Amino acid sequence: MISLPDLLMPSRSGRDARARRALATLSRQASALRSAPRVPAVLAPKGPPAAKSVVVGSAQKLNQASGVLAFSVLTDSALEHYRGSFRNRAMFTPLVVSTLALAASVHGTADDRPDVHVARDVVFGLTALTGLIGTGFHVYNVGSRQGGYRWLNFFYRAPIGAPMAIAISGVLGNMSERLRRTPRGTPPTLYGLDAGKALSLFTALSLAGTTGEAWLLHFRGNFQNPFMYTPVTIPPASGALLADAALRGGASRRSAARAGMIATALAGLAGTGFHMRGVARMMGGWRNWTQNLLDGPPIPTPPAFTGLALAGLAALDLLERRDD
Amino acid sequence: MTDGLPRYPDYDVLRKRNTVSWNDPTRTAIDRRLAVDRDPHTLTEGEFATLQAICDRVVPQEQGPDLVPIAAYVDQELTLDLSLGYRYAGLPPAKEAWHRAIAALDAESVKAFDAPFVAVDAARRDTLLTRMQKGELKDPAWGDMAPDLFFKQHVLVDIVAAYYAHPTAWSRIGYGGPASPRGYVRMGFGMRDPWEAAEAHPGEEAKAARKNRNV
Amino acid sequence: MSDKILTNREPLRSGLDLEAMHRPRARNGRAPDPHVPGGWFPMREHREDEAVDFAIVGTGAGGGVLAARLAEMGFSVVAFDAGPYFRPLEDFASDETAQSQLFWTDRRVTDGENPLKLGSNNSGKAVGGSTVHYAMVALRQRPESFRSRTKQGFGADWPVDWREMWHYYAEAEEALKISGPISYPWGPSRPRYPYRQHDLNAAALTLAKGAEKLGIKWTETPLATLSAPRGKSPPCVYRGFCRVGCSTNAKQSMLVTFIPRAIKAGAEVRDLAMVGRIETDKQGLATGLHYHRDGAWRFQRARNVVVAGYAIETPRLLLNSASDRHRHGLANSSGLVGKYLMTQSNVAVWGEMDEEVRWNKGPPSLAITEHWNYDDSKDFFGGYIHMSQGPLPVEWASVHTGARGLWGKALQDEMAKYNHMVGLKMVGEMMPQERNTVTLADEEDQYGLKVARVTYSWCDNDKAMIEHSLDFMGRQLEASGARNVWRQPDDTNHLAGTARMGDNRRTSVVDTNCRSWDVPNLFVCDGSVFPTTGGVNPSLTIQALALRTADRIQALARRGEL
Ligand SMILES: Cc1cc2nc3c(=O)[nH]c(=O)nc-3n(C[C@H](O)[C@H](O)[C@H](O)COP(=O)(O)OP(=O)(O)OC[C@H]3O[C@@H](n4cnc5c(N)ncnc54)[C@H](O)[C@@H]3O)c2cc1C
Ligand code: SF4
Repeated sequence: MISLPDLLMPSRSGRDARARRALATLSRQASALRSAPRVPAVLAPKGPPAAKSVVVGSAQKLNQASGVLAFSVLTDSALEHYRGSFRNRAMFTPLVVSTLALAASVHGTADDRPDVHVARDVVFGLTALTGLIGTGFHVYNVGSRQGGYRWLNFFYRAPIGAPMAIAISGVLGNMSERLRRTPRGTPPTLYGLDAGKALSLFTALSLAGTTGEAWLLHFRGNFQNPFMYTPVTIPPASGALLADAALRGGASRRSAARAGMIATALAGLAGTGFHMRGVARMMGGWRNWTQNLLDGPPIPTPPAFTGLALAGLAALDLLERRDD
Repeated sequence: MTDGLPRYPDYDVLRKRNTVSWNDPTRTAIDRRLAVDRDPHTLTEGEFATLQAICDRVVPQEQGPDLVPIAAYVDQELTLDLSLGYRYAGLPPAKEAWHRAIAALDAESVKAFDAPFVAVDAARRDTLLTRMQKGELKDPAWGDMAPDLFFKQHVLVDIVAAYYAHPTAWSRIGYGGPASPRGYVRMGFGMRDPWEAAEAHPGEEAKAARKNRNV
Repeated sequence: MSDKILTNREPLRSGLDLEAMHRPRARNGRAPDPHVPGGWFPMREHREDEAVDFAIVGTGAGGGVLAARLAEMGFSVVAFDAGPYFRPLEDFASDETAQSQLFWTDRRVTDGENPLKLGSNNSGKAVGGSTVHYAMVALRQRPESFRSRTKQGFGADWPVDWREMWHYYAEAEEALKISGPISYPWGPSRPRYPYRQHDLNAAALTLAKGAEKLGIKWTETPLATLSAPRGKSPPCVYRGFCRVGCSTNAKQSMLVTFIPRAIKAGAEVRDLAMVGRIETDKQGLATGLHYHRDGAWRFQRARNVVVAGYAIETPRLLLNSASDRHRHGLANSSGLVGKYLMTQSNVAVWGEMDEEVRWNKGPPSLAITEHWNYDDSKDFFGGYIHMSQGPLPVEWASVHTGARGLWGKALQDEMAKYNHMVGLKMVGEMMPQERNTVTLADEEDQYGLKVARVTYSWCDNDKAMIEHSLDFMGRQLEASGARNVWRQPDDTNHLAGTARMGDNRRTSVVDTNCRSWDVPNLFVCDGSVFPTTGGVNPSLTIQALALRTADRIQALARRGEL
């Protein structure tokens, strides 16, 4: 069993693969994270663990992150593209790709071997590519309607940021594979940069982008509920803390960033709850789900923050290893 | 499909009666509308028959279970003494206007075709109605009421509004009908919510019919 | 007058036969909460024999706002409405015919060269007035419209500065959480609309397409329906029945906004209460009003009376309140009560698209252009907006019968194209003319009150504007790809005038405070006070003016001039 400390602290070696349970684990993270405040010890992780386990453990955590993101994209694009009646064949692509990314992530989460898995690697590469191409489609879609690039179309046409979520999932997966390849005893790197730093900065950037998307949609909803400010405050602030920890180092900065990531992860889960409540507040509530799941606040999107927070936590593990 | 007009095979807006597209007041209102008393209460049997003959020409319908009892609705309006909210100065109140118009139309019909309106064929009825619309009828039975004004304000309003207030008419034109609490999600060009009528594109009638049985 | 009067026949037509239409609901210390089926608010009640500070006739765009503001300022207020007090969630059907329960369908006679159609398209009868079934288009008049005589060369000037009006517009927009574009493309800059714009339906996209082809600007219509939740109101579900009442409560009508505010602030609302006459004393001051409720005539004493029954009922009530001292009707020393009635032209062009449009989805006018309000190169006075459309079947059929005289198979074939139709409809400024009037006819209504005779004729300028709009809208619709474009050249809608405001007691009925020149404790607060009607839909202007009137009344009270 992967328990809360496992999730939040640097991994220890000796955990073996539990492929069958990995899916269940992903879903259980929700309840595990919710109890986090009761375990302040997680903010002060214990002494330096072995190099290999940190790296592979981080890789596995990245798989969790990419999995959560893929799951969010899968459900969100299913809803949104169903709303769009799948008018264009390409609209099935994110469903297929995010399903594959989800499977690869589950597989990776359960796999503690320090090797690149070729199939996974291909899937993640494809996923990242799909996200980029999808972004292109969405950018085109926004501009193609009357009025072009104006607020109206940013609000209601294909959301520009959505395909980026799947791209991020792919990149995190790709990073995970790169990490696994780290030779024993060498500091892990990603694309030639220190791994902890690279992952931190990438995560911080991703958080900023996702915040932008949340801001756009919450602005459209006029921030009518004060909690709608949550995703535009906590994640970017936490992202900044993470970047700060990566660039300047230090245990206290890391602790702050870790707290931020936990808060972000919780905010993502809470967001789902808020969005469910939002659907209930729409005309006819849940009884009218055929309308309200589509027109109400999107239930699948907030966990994207949770996914990014998991990536942030993995990054912190790596930073910790670097700095110690 | 020879006339190129949109068709919605098998679409029946009443299928949605028990879905979230209808609320209780709507069900009450439509149930009562469908249960309208088909016998006249204000018009005499004879007048009612003439009214039905007029309705048949203004909104021709095929015989069948879906037939909209238009004349019954018009008679009901007269019985309840309803008003649109205004009356042209040249027209008497609705009840009197209809009594007078039916009598005058019969007089015109006898004068032109030697038979009351109900007894002449469709073409002749159309001739008479067209002349009414153009204000060409002059029988003294019209009194100070202008036939063209009556045609515009009553024949075309009372009859046509009664017909297009009926689910049968909605189904025919592919109109979504009642929509509360559920409204619509997809609003762009060519977009259809699964609870809207599906139009039959050439060669895809069966597909549309299938969708329409599942609105 | 008989005490057994069937005051309301609408319940019978509607098929709903709601209790609310037969028996007053707001009484015994409580009033219906429009947001909760079966719900109630506590409501303060006032005795009839104790003079209240303000008795207000009508609870629509003008009366509803004023009742709330005056009560919030601490005045004692009773607001009367002839119509019922609905709870939309439980009372409103999704059906054009049933919802005729919202219209003012009491007897009225129309004549003139271009007799007006009344009822469904311009007169509401409910707590909340016409805003319960209006189309929610919430626009500001351009600055020059308030100085039409001096700046534009026609009509009359308003005794109000446009900047002051724009200040109150902002207040009204905020109170109704208008959903509108982030920046509005015409006129002086205005604050961002409180809620974001709605998405466009295909009908609105058609307007945008045509506008872009012709090189004119368009925008998302500022609408009084929510694009996000607000309190107990959910956002719009795009059901498209707005003009027969919003059973979602997304529409920010007076019924769900200012009326609850008024009651919370201590105002009393009396529903199914038809005011028949304003009483005056020997000094010529108003002392209260006679109203019919529960089958009997009653009298409410009041220190001040406000008439807010809209452009037909307001003059009718004033004329029906004639007394020895006011022989030609109350507040009528100028002889102008009931004169200068204005409607707005509502002509349209319609056409067919190859694609499915399904224009009944969403509020009827999601996109709009004010191009011809702000372009001054026209060969006529005044201006107009035009907007996208989405009529429901009964109304749509009436366009074919009314404008084209279609019947038989020709009508049915046209109706079969319902889901492919698009249209552009203008709201255009018609000229104030003294000959367009509301007078009393020699007929009585169900209460035994003289009914209104409404006389209307278009002038050459009106016709020129209509021609201009039909021509332009026709070109625009064709540019958007519509086929078989045809014209509906005869429609009108909103009303105004008949108790115009002005700077001079000989040429106006009320002064800049909307107070009668003749009867200092009588005010008018509705669309009747408009000296000109402007080229935009009137409700936001009526609401802004009511907000201003409330402030003015408070200032008068402070100065001891009430
Ligand atoms: C179908 C429709 C669509 C519209 N669309 C728009 C739009 O999109 N945008 C816009 O700006 N405007 C629109 N309007 C116009 C707008 O609703 C009116 O201009 C506005 O509501 C008028 O406000 P008012 O206060 O003058 O009168 P109303 O809102 O009509 O209120 C008058 C009230 O007074 C009551 N009353 C009258 N006489 C008496 C009496 N003697 N005793 C007791 N009560 C009485 C009536 O019952 C009524 O409730 C629309 C109107 C209609 C009918
Ligand atoms: S379209 Fe929106 S505003 Fe109009 S009736 Fe429906 S929910 Fe109300």
